[in-house]
Amino acid sequence: MQTALQKDAPETQPLSWGATFWINFSKNVAGVIGFWMLVLVIVVSIFAPVLTPYEQSSSTSVGIEDIYQPPSAEHWFGTDDAGQDVFTNFIFGARISLLVGFFAAFISIFIGGIFGLVAGFFGGRWENFLMRFTDIMLVIPELPLLVVIVALTRPSLMNIIFVIGILGWTTTARVVRSQTLAVKSRKFVLRARAIGAGRIHILARHIMPLVLPILVVQAVLAISLAILNESALSFIGLGDPSALSWGQMLNFAFGRGAMSAGAWWALVVPGFGIVWVVLSLTLLGQGLEQVLNPRLDTHHLMPGRPVVQKEAGQVIQKDALLEVQNLSIHYIKKGKAPARAVENISFTLKQGELIGLVGESGCGKTTLMLSLLKLLPAAGQIVHGKVFYLGKDLTAMNEAEINEVRWSRISIVFQGAMNALNPVRTVGDQIAEAILKHDPGYPREKLAARVSELLDLVGISAGQKENFPHQYSGGMRQRAMIAMALACNPQVVIADEPTTALDVMIQAQILELLDSLRKKLGLAVIFVTHDLGVVAELCDRVLVMYGGVTAEYADVDVIYNTPKHPYTQELLKAFPDLTKPKKKLTSIPGYPPPLDNLPVGCRFSPRCPAAFDRCHTEEPALHVLADGHSASCHLVEVAKG
Amino acid sequence: MKNQSGNFLEIRGLKKYFEAGRTSLFSREQRHVHAVDGVNLSLRRSEVIALVGESGCGKSTLGLLLMGLEDPTDGKVTFEDKDITHLNDGQRKDLRRKIQMVFQDPYESLNPTQTIAEIINEPLLVHGIGATQSERDERVKKAMEDSGLKPAEVYLNRYPHELSGGQRQRVVIAAALVLEPEIIIADEPVSMLDVSIRAEVINLLAELRITRQIAVIFITHDLGSVGFFADRVAVMYLGRIVEIGTMLEVLERPQHPYTKALISVIPVPNPRLRHERIILQGETPNPINIPSGCRFHPRCPVAFEACKLSDPLMTSLSKTHQAACLLITGNK
Repeated sequence: MQTALQKDAPETQPLSWGATFWINFSKNVAGVIGFWMLVLVIVVSIFAPVLTPYEQSSSTSVGIEDIYQPPSAEHWFGTDDAGQDVFTNFIFGARISLLVGFFAAFISIFIGGIFGLVAGFFGGRWENFLMRFTDIMLVIPELPLLVVIVALTRPSLMNIIFVIGILGWTTTARVVRSQTLAVKSRKFVLRARAIGAGRIHILARHIMPLVLPILVVQAVLAISLAILNESALSFIGLGDPSALSWGQMLNFAFGRGAMSAGAWWALVVPGFGIVWVVLSLTLLGQGLEQVLNPRLDTHHLMPGRPVVQKEAGQVIQKDALLEVQNLSIHYIKKGKAPARAVENISFTLKQGELIGLVGESGCGKTTLMLSLLKLLPAAGQIVHGKVFYLGKDLTAMNEAEINEVRWSRISIVFQGAMNALNPVRTVGDQIAEAILKHDPGYPREKLAARVSELLDLVGISAGQKENFPHQYSGGMRQRAMIAMALACNPQVVIADEPTTALDVMIQAQILELLDSLRKKLGLAVIFVTHDLGVVAELCDRVLVMYGGVTAEYADVDVIYNTPKHPYTQELLKAFPDLTKPKKKLTSIPGYPPPLDNLPVGCRFSPRCPAAFDRCHTEEPALHVLADGHSASCHLVEVAKG
Repeated sequence: MKNQSGNFLEIRGLKKYFEAGRTSLFSREQRHVHAVDGVNLSLRRSEVIALVGESGCGKSTLGLLLMGLEDPTDGKVTFEDKDITHLNDGQRKDLRRKIQMVFQDPYESLNPTQTIAEIINEPLLVHGIGATQSERDERVKKAMEDSGLKPAEVYLNRYPHELSGGQRQRVVIAAALVLEPEIIIADEPVSMLDVSIRAEVINLLAELRITRQIAVIFITHDLGSVGFFADRVAVMYLGRIVEIGTMLEVLERPQHPYTKALISVIPVPNPRLRHERIILQGETPNPINIPSGCRFHPRCPVAFEACKLSDPLMTSLSKTHQAACLLITGNK
């Protein structure tokens, strides 16, 4: 997205919300099918008089031979008890059923919407009153009440529409209220208040646009509910006798001996109409809901396929615990250029070593980490390279083999992991579960002691293991997640931005903890972060990533004191250093490249202050500068001579 | 532009207690969260104050109180010699033109259904500024370019999700600037951004105080990110300011043990300068039960017996530097 702005080309004009909606909706199979099914019914009911040679209820001369005629060329769907054409009644009946559905739904959406909005937005006494009232309405069984009211008010079409509408709003009110509450608590509403906006303005400009999609979905479902209710009422004889709806057709057929006459068509046809409309509305509603509430679909974790390569096995460093060799990962989506998220990355991790993996958001660091355990999203493929863990190639392993390694040998602490604890189970329980999942034979009598030991390791007293996650602070939850990662005595822990959302003091505590664990347990840690300061405090070696490739890889001292890649140098200039409080910070202009549309030449060249002609045409190789120090920059090569 | 030299925002004994339910089911005693518990602070025109502390210290609540988004329990706030502690809706709305806020999360604080032009135009519509749309467009454009969204035309018709975090924060700042405020309260404006682009937002705020004489209250947990551009630093702990001074006084000669600890944990981007960190155990205590005596004593590495009993007052160390610690009072 960002680079679209850099080019400011006219064809990248953004699509309006409406256009995006239609594009997404057209891809939703259920929604599109439902939509066209409904359109068909509406078209048929509008053009009813054209579609049939008969007039509705035109039974001027009924002979006994006309009654319950089976389907024929003359009467496609046969005739009914009054000798009328079932097809004609069927398509005219669609009018009545749809009319009831749309109007009743309009009433219930209108009432439910207002109740929900007012209760959710104004809160306090309004909410109490309206929601208690809604609750009461909700416990009253709907159909019996409908029956009673319709029976009392005399069954006419208007009355039926009104009663179904009046009784159908409760779910809408509740759904709208909870959506209103959710939107109201979002920061942009607070910001609108800070600007000085009044309530009406906030309601109209900020709340409504986000409640509307929910309301649309509710409306679709309300229509189908109303049609069903009308059919049920008509079927039990409480429909408007002058309006021949599908329910009424069923009622007449059923009540006047269609069953005994074997005239199945008189029952099946209107029944089919009801099922068709309800099905179309359900599909449409489901489709709309999926489009309007898009969930992230990038997190379906799928095992990656083993990579088959013919290269001869490379030499593996002797003391290496984990060795990544020329790893490339692409996200492959149909009809799109592959996103080259990681390309040609190599690094080694020794026992007890702490390596920092540094880069801006979207530079491929998380992809790289997920690939080590083959936890990539479905579209992510390891297209090249190997990952050796104690000499065994992880990329060639099948799902069962990699499961042996996952968590028990290499574990991960995810970014924001502290929010991933199950709120209804105690922390100790969840840690015990993590142990048992990977070692089902773990002796039960030792389990409690092991949980206490793990918690103690991360600085949580054993007494707190019976507590629930909400009784823990953010820092303690993160500690608990680290305890969970240590549950199976792994040798490698991958920590993906473990302190990003935490206060500086808590961050210092967590860093201290990781450092002590490495000393105590000989743990090797891969620390993924965008924060150079943290890396300087903690790590032995640093790999700086940019746009999916290694920018620079060296010992921590080299990175901070004699960095060679302009990107490393620029990153350092952007970082505040309290030892030099008057230093002016500079930010790196522009943004990292999108991985599916990388610049030609060096990936950093559009933002690089030292770029020259060659950088824009030729991608630099990774040059080894000294033992353990490499950088991918043409300038480095020039300097080397 | 009256009162040019003096204080233009004065906060005296400001308190905000939130009700936190009864102590037990049958008790009548109300418990309170002492979010802000007696804050004194004054701000000069075009001055930048960094308000620093851990989460739960009340710094964000203080920001909301100043914005009038929360109602104070006690205390007084004056702005340009007018009492603004309790205002009716109309007065509050007028004041909002002068005091604006920038929120922490640029991903959450923009309405996803509005375009950038609509977002920045909205404050003008709300306040009825500008007779014609073209006049408003002119102001929108100027605010955007002052916020570094250049050229404005490229961004006008885009939606927030099409911008990066840094650009979104610039949009939030532009929407505040368009009202030409005199104070901007920035609540953790960079903590959600990558380090590499934090500098651009901080530099932008630093420029605004020069080009537009805007005073900034910069609320943050990370002293490192503001140290270099704040004039003064106020350190908050459990609802109170425990140390305040010029940036250099606080950074180079911190007096309160809490300030010392906070400074010691700021990462230094140089492995040769790895130093002893004073890591406080635990987290800010629950502000329902404020510890007796000095509120910092349970976590203080140098606390002694008297700290449990006596609540230290702010003691002046220089004309601009004050701290509340018995060690200082004792030495005086």
